[in-house]
Amino acid sequence: MRALLILLVTAPLLAQEAGPTRTDWPHYGGTQLSWRYSALNQINTGNVKNLAPAWIFQTGDYAENLHSTPIVVNGVMYLITARAQVFALDAASGRMIWQYRYQTPRTGIAGSQSDFIQNRGVAVGNGKVFFGTKDNFLVALDQKTGRESWRVSVDDPRQCGCNITAAPLIVKDKIIIGGNGGDQAHRGYLTAFYTATGRFAWRWYVVPGPGEKGNETWKGDSWRFGGGSPWLTGSFDSDLNLVYWGTGNAAADFYDGDRVVSGADESRDVNLYTASVVALDADTGKLRWYFQEIPNDVWDFDSAYEVLLMDRQVRGQMRKILVHMNKSGLTFVLDRATGEYLGSFNVAEVSNWIKGVSQDGKLTGRYEPELGETRFICPSAAGAKSWNSMTYSPRTGLIYTPTNEICTEITPNNNKPNEGRNYMNGDFPMKLPPNRTTYSHVDAWDPVAGKRAWSIPYKFVLLSSMLATAGDLVFTGDPEGNFFALDARNGNRLWSFQTGAGHRGSVISYSVNGRQYVATTSGFHQTVVGGAMVRLFPDESFRQGSTLVVFALPEGTK
Amino acid sequence: MKCIFILFFVPALALAQDPNVLKQGQDVFNKSCATGYCHGASGVGGGAPRIAARGFDQAYIANTITRGIPNTGMQAFAGTLSQTELNGVVAYVARLNGIVSPASSAAVPAQTASGPVLSAEAARGRQLFSDAVRSFGRCSTCHEVNGIGIPVAAPMGSIPENVAALRALATPRVSTATVSGETMPILMLSNRTQSVLFYDLTATPPVLRTEVPAAIRLREGSDWRHSSVIGSYNDQELSSILEYLRSN
Repeated sequence: MRALLILLVTAPLLAQEAGPTRTDWPHYGGTQLSWRYSALNQINTGNVKNLAPAWIFQTGDYAENLHSTPIVVNGVMYLITARAQVFALDAASGRMIWQYRYQTPRTGIAGSQSDFIQNRGVAVGNGKVFFGTKDNFLVALDQKTGRESWRVSVDDPRQCGCNITAAPLIVKDKIIIGGNGGDQAHRGYLTAFYTATGRFAWRWYVVPGPGEKGNETWKGDSWRFGGGSPWLTGSFDSDLNLVYWGTGNAAADFYDGDRVVSGADESRDVNLYTASVVALDADTGKLRWYFQEIPNDVWDFDSAYEVLLMDRQVRGQMRKILVHMNKSGLTFVLDRATGEYLGSFNVAEVSNWIKGVSQDGKLTGRYEPELGETRFICPSAAGAKSWNSMTYSPRTGLIYTPTNEICTEITPNNNKPNEGRNYMNGDFPMKLPPNRTTYSHVDAWDPVAGKRAWSIPYKFVLLSSMLATAGDLVFTGDPEGNFFALDARNGNRLWSFQTGAGHRGSVISYSVNGRQYVATTSGFHQTVVGGAMVRLFPDESFRQGSTLVVFALPEGTK
Repeated sequence: MKCIFILFFVPALALAQDPNVLKQGQDVFNKSCATGYCHGASGVGGGAPRIAARGFDQAYIANTITRGIPNTGMQAFAGTLSQTELNGVVAYVARLNGIVSPASSAAVPAQTASGPVLSAEAARGRQLFSDAVRSFGRCSTCHEVNGIGIPVAAPMGSIPENVAALRALATPRVSTATVSGETMPILMLSNRTQSVLFYDLTATPPVLRTEVPAAIRLREGSDWRHSSVIGSYNDQELSSILEYLRSN
């Protein structure tokens, strides 16, 4: 009985301990629970008005954006640019310690949309700095010197039409990397390599092959080019030894006639394991459970986004849960040990793609693109949220997320696949929804209650990741270049700074010698989603750039 | 014998009759290679090494220009120059190295497959060569042909006559390294005083590794065999692949 009591009391506390970052910012998602929450509180609601730049780093990268999440370990910051220059910087002063330039890779396939010039971050651990490249190499550098240690080709971009833009995830002795390519005729996968040698460990295909369970959910040999690419970064629960990842949309994106078995029940298990959250054994990559959020995704609402792992009271019982949003804005709460559906809520205000979600988590009242027609559907493939991450504060129990209200006019086609070439099968220009004057909002949600605590509107779109801190602050940036702090309790805007270029990246916090810093990337992306937004607001200037701006309280202030 | 004679001599003849190839190569060189911090006019050197009168052979020149040299400023030009420009600049640099009649077609095959119409079997072979379903068990994990695949291995010289010959393929370029007490088959790329660059062939895909010379012990020869990495294909499939390779 006593043992049980201790178990009940300490288990949630232990989980809490693993969630926040402290001195360092060790992983893409802060910690591997992906909260993007810092336990530092030197900068707080009372003094944030004094926050000022401490140092600025211009990467010199001539590319048009800076997306990546910096990593900070023991006072050293590791930063990668869109063109895969990697810098090690003194995190207190910005002094450069080393620099590595990835050789300009060959281009991918023209017209395949596979030539993204962007990189979302490095992973640091086991004495190395890891990153993926546009030409699908996974590269490991020596953490101390920046010298290349190894590199391995994950795929040939000229064949697969795929690229790596995500930060890899280090799990014990392995490094796990996904890729994009879900909009090409390509079959997505996660691949794990050993950090020490670069040798292959395992690969898990999102789309099962012949003889594997789930392959029967694909029509004919459509599984070969079924998409599903897990193009962002997963999470890791060391207690359960499970890796969590969101998978991408089924391909073709907007036309299902060639991939869905006729007469299939659209309420579950269509085109497995696309548009799903999956839990894989961290050592073997074997599938432990899955939850398909969007069976037969015909909207490009892929479920590739970040997976937040938290322990919360659900209906009176402490549960190990995960919170996961896909592009539709529909956000799922699942038991992360079993995949059991616990609830969902929809952050988008303008939404007509479904009528709702049933008690057991199934989509109802689907409004699908139709061959031979043009349909106005909300949200858009740009996402009620884009790939940028939300944040979770255990102090308030709320998640904070940027929500965009953008629609699209989808006109599908039934083109046949050609390996590695575009396989979206539709035109989908972005459209502003009628009768609105603001097109995004920062929201605070209680994920368990499914209730919105507050919402702050913004005129254009919000495409930058968020940070919550124990100072009860929420930080993010907008495309106009404003980097700002909100009160986590009520959304009041407490501080703002113009960084000179639009925000499409990430914000982190860390401390060196007892001084807390908040760092943000600055530099908008004028292609893909960012480009669509530029075209929606042609009178605005969402400026490009590649700069890191680091803030702290002036020394001596309290 | 006659066949080989024609193979090597005809391009050279073609070049002799077409001084435009050299002229174009020189133009490309002046624009792309002589500028900035690179090789200087006539390849006499600048921020980058001298490349005139170095005794380079044409295959080396073609390989370096098309593929570049990893971890240096020497980029791969296969993606940026057209096939005609590549042929020209290879011929021009060959001339700078004293090759009087450089072959005009020594550059590595172009990026896109626009070669002869393939037989049904060769077409099947092409599909098998880079078959994504085989993951890292496909040929293109280590071989680049017609712009598809990772050029771990050098471009293929001769194509094995049949499947038995393919299975028996000797791999004299593979040697053995011991790194941190572990012995492994490797393909050496460069062995310099500062660093050793090699492919670790222990598993597929091969890993391109960089070590300091002090950390690595080398010896000639290896137990590694090409037959150990083609296990995803049966004889019939290998036969189709050979047919494809012969069709190039």
